[in-house]
Amino acid sequence: MTAVDGQETQGQLASAASSEVIIELNQVNKWFGSFHVLKDINLTVHKGERIVVCGPSGSGKSTLIRCINRLEEHQRGDIVVDGITLDKNLKNIDHIRSEVGMVFQSFNLFPHLSILENLTLGPIWVRKIPKAEARDIAMSYLERVKIPEQAEKFPGQLSGGQQQRVAIARSLCMNPKIMLFDEPTSALDPEMIKEVLDVMVELAATGMTMIVVTHEMGFAKTIADRVIFMDEGDIVEQNEPNEFFNNPQSDRTKQFLSQILTH
Amino acid sequence: MSMVKHEKTAPRDAPLSETTFIGWLQKNLFSSWINTILTIISIYIIYSVSKSLLIWGVLDAVWVAENRRECFAISKHGACWAGVLIWFDNIFYGRFPRDQIWRVNLGGLLLVLWMAPLWLPRVKDKIFIGLSTVFLYPFLAGYLFAGGDKGIFMQVMTTGAIVCLIGNTVHSILGMTSGRSLPEYLIAVLGKEKASDGNQRNTLLAILAVAYVVVYALQMGWTVMAVPWSKWGGMHLTLVISGIGITSALPGGIILALGRRSRLPVIRVLSVSFIEIFRSVPLITVLFMATTMFPLFMPEGFVLNKLVQVIIAVCLFSACYMAETVRAGLQAIPKGQYEAAHTIGLGYWGMMAFVVMPQALKHMIPNIVGSFIGLLKDTTLVSIIGLFDLLGMLRAISQDIPWRGLHHEPLIFGAALFFVICFAMSKYSRHLEVKLSAGEKH
Repeated sequence: MTAVDGQETQGQLASAASSEVIIELNQVNKWFGSFHVLKDINLTVHKGERIVVCGPSGSGKSTLIRCINRLEEHQRGDIVVDGITLDKNLKNIDHIRSEVGMVFQSFNLFPHLSILENLTLGPIWVRKIPKAEARDIAMSYLERVKIPEQAEKFPGQLSGGQQQRVAIARSLCMNPKIMLFDEPTSALDPEMIKEVLDVMVELAATGMTMIVVTHEMGFAKTIADRVIFMDEGDIVEQNEPNEFFNNPQSDRTKQFLSQILTH
Repeated sequence: MSMVKHEKTAPRDAPLSETTFIGWLQKNLFSSWINTILTIISIYIIYSVSKSLLIWGVLDAVWVAENRRECFAISKHGACWAGVLIWFDNIFYGRFPRDQIWRVNLGGLLLVLWMAPLWLPRVKDKIFIGLSTVFLYPFLAGYLFAGGDKGIFMQVMTTGAIVCLIGNTVHSILGMTSGRSLPEYLIAVLGKEKASDGNQRNTLLAILAVAYVVVYALQMGWTVMAVPWSKWGGMHLTLVISGIGITSALPGGIILALGRRSRLPVIRVLSVSFIEIFRSVPLITVLFMATTMFPLFMPEGFVLNKLVQVIIAVCLFSACYMAETVRAGLQAIPKGQYEAAHTIGLGYWGMMAFVVMPQALKHMIPNIVGSFIGLLKDTTLVSIIGLFDLLGMLRAISQDIPWRGLHHEPLIFGAALFFVICFAMSKYSRHLEVKLSAGEKH
């Protein structure tokens, strides 16, 4: 939790949120078998908004963002992403997935492809961009995440932090409108967490719409426009970060914050 | 308890057991008295077996003789290789007319020519070369082996195959010498580097069309005499059946494996029942069914020759085994890989083709090659339903009047042939494994 403490003093990034709604969840419910994971979730995300979702494990926060690009299917309610309602229509789902980037806890790079091929696969085959151009785009993003020299290597030869930065670059190569982060630093050694968070802070500064599931509270204070606290499938509390951390309203939030901030 | 060591420790020589041959012997063969006894006993057994094999197979063997009686007259206890040598052509080509054997050889040579670029380092677009081997070569080879009148379909396919073979070869030579691909070379020669993509594509298509028409016109006059399939045999027949089985097993197996994992119930149930039925029946039963029962289900007057029926049966059988191998490979791919492929917008087929299958097949190389080796050996079963494949030919030697009763030598020769082929496949798969996993050690 201490990796970005230094950034707290730098103060918050200015908000880039506009009034345009890009994600809307309306009364969303989801069950795994008979287990009720998401309960009547209502959430509106504006373009350029940066949201941090936190909560104890099993609270449904990962499931929530996995529903937004349909890696999980919700059973009740509506999810509208970039003007398209998620339903059984496979064409819509493929379209949404190419507009929504996602970064996983376990990186999920393609181990049989070089770093560069990992990055160009989507642009070439989904966006139909010519190879040379896709390569240039990939290299520019690798430079942005500060590892252009690793382009010809394979994922297995990189450290965890480097792999996660490649994963972020891979998502960005698709030029997404929204980025989802599912505990991007949870599988990393402490000294690598910072390099990944730095990349994410830079990304936040470009005005990208981001939803980040994380326990990095320092990071949340720096970039979030809004912090959402989930517990047992409910959105218990949401507020702008200063209020959220300094003046939590609900008992569940207070308990959670006391547990993660004092250890 | 604190300690500090100021000087570096200098490296010293390793003990003798690690570096010298004598040391190795002592460590591995004579480390204790019981190991010493076992080593001596093993050496004695190896010595006596190889000594008698050497005497029977080489020193006392007869290499030239007219018939088996003559063999006995020359050497009573030696091997009679003369029979195998005289039947040599039969073992490899069956009863293929002797003046037409060049066609079989040419077919094999073309295959080598076609596939050689796959192993050359600087050649590009190997996937295309590989695919053309699978989809076009069989027609050219098929016509070379069967001959006779070319129907319009065969004309079209053999022309395609010839154009493709020429293209492949030129492409590979260009790749080796200048590092350019054939299309790039043609565009450069015509001075169209600056032209738009569409213009370049049209030019290439026009060249392809001209080449096709020219070759088509030339091949119309080219015919070879018909050789009925019943004359095919020996090693040639074994390789034809198992070759078709092997090349169709992988695509068939992939389709069946994907079908088995499909979310659509109809496709899944069909794939599962197909796989399970074929897998639970021995190949020999499938072969009998194919040759005796299959014609009963066909409309009257619809006659397929026995060879085609056998090949279809072998293909289906091997595809089902391959399906299970592929499925095992698919299951080894973590869920995160599927999800990551989805999140960059790849659809089902893109995900399978670029992310899942390449990884699954790589994991599966040993098993896939294992199936191929099994299939190659299993094709000897066709000798039971009356095709004279390699095994059939070897057994026929003992029925031949001059060589009546000559069983051991032909079968040993056959075993050696199979060993060479299967061992080579196995070695190649090992090499492939090492090569493909290079650079991505976890």
